[in-house]
Amino acid sequence: MTPTARVSSLPLWRQPWVINSAVTVVSVVVCLLLLPSRVPGMELLGVSPHWLLIWVVAWSIKRTQWEGAIAGLVLGLLQDAMTSPHPTHTLSLIVVGVLTARLQKQRYLQEDIVSVALIVFAMAVIAETVLALQISLNQLISADSLYPSLGKIWLYHQRIALSSAILSSLWAPALYYPLNRWWDRYSPSS
Amino acid sequence: MVTLAISSAWLLRANDGAVLYEAYHWVTRPLQPGISREEQFESSYILELQQRIVELEYQNRTLQTLAAYEETAAPGGTRAAVIGRAADHWWQHAILNRGSRSGVAVGHIVTGPGGLVGRVVAVSPSTARVLLISDPTSRVGAKVSRSRSMGVVRGQSNNRVVMEFFEKTPDVKAGDVIVTSSFSRLFPRDIPIGRIESIDLTKSPAPEAVIQLSSPLAILEWATIYPFEPQETVDLPVIPGAAPDIMPEDRP
Repeated sequence: MTPTARVSSLPLWRQPWVINSAVTVVSVVVCLLLLPSRVPGMELLGVSPHWLLIWVVAWSIKRTQWEGAIAGLVLGLLQDAMTSPHPTHTLSLIVVGVLTARLQKQRYLQEDIVSVALIVFAMAVIAETVLALQISLNQLISADSLYPSLGKIWLYHQRIALSSAILSSLWAPALYYPLNRWWDRYSPSS
Repeated sequence: MVTLAISSAWLLRANDGAVLYEAYHWVTRPLQPGISREEQFESSYILELQQRIVELEYQNRTLQTLAAYEETAAPGGTRAAVIGRAADHWWQHAILNRGSRSGVAVGHIVTGPGGLVGRVVAVSPSTARVLLISDPTSRVGAKVSRSRSMGVVRGQSNNRVVMEFFEKTPDVKAGDVIVTSSFSRLFPRDIPIGRIESIDLTKSPAPEAVIQLSSPLAILEWATIYPFEPQETVDLPVIPGAAPDIMPEDRP
């Protein structure tokens, strides 16, 4: 990610930070393109895995809170662009990024695929809850809100949060494993 | 004793376990699909029905190609394939493969086999994003085709929508056909939406009816986009017909 200070004789497209950035961007683009698709077998009650959330978790799991928050902001804005800016997805993904980075993984959880799936499960529930809170707030504050009543919002939230959490956690290793391997290899410290 | 066991085992092995398989056959006898006299009659009846289905399917296919042809010939309509769904779980969107390059613009109406599907809310050069009528934020002015009772149709994120009536005692019954009303500012009138499934007249503040949508939004593959000028420039769907004379002031 960060441009290294050391002088390199390699051409620009062969330098590690360029390749690393390119891989990171491409992985985000792939996630974005997966969002509107409903591939058979990747769908539960009309809900597909929350790829951006998996990406944010994979990103933040070994990074600081700030990096997690920035990733959440960027991907949230991208998802807003693909759906609708109200309510915003940035908030939920920032929360996910910060919480994932704050988790004391070395103390409680081990760095393996199962724990990543568990984190994704919890984070998917949190992300949908943040969105449902925003919708509820809008419903309570504005008089001519277009959203349905609170009871219906939270009933729908239950359904969405559960299927999204299950699917996302099942598909999390598919994204986490290659990305994590890549970032380990190209980490700026090495 | 040992020789007996070994010799019997050897014997079984010599004739390939025929005795064992015979025993197996008798044990599993009740589970085997046998054919009794009544069942034979039944199966031949089923065969006849299956052949009829084949014939009906063929007829259905020819009629469908005809209907598809007629739809392409409809004036002004653009056929488009559904290539994606909402990029989030809270919205009910569909992504179509025709965009501004094919003349699609925001506010155009999308119909499919079965009636109204939604309206275009965003376009790119070759895609269009459609807000389905099953979205919770979608509002469609609608009327009961038989009795002209007016109301607003609201999405519920599934294949059923809720219609709120304006009158306290609307003249409706289960099975009535719902179409878009002429007071709707975002949709042209008289497009079929669905049929009333159940009615709750005691609901406060307005009586409600649950409507089964006639177009299968969840499995939609093709849709037709029709040009339509919304009578208002705002993107917010407001309740049509409710307060038609105060809108110029409070809508910029």
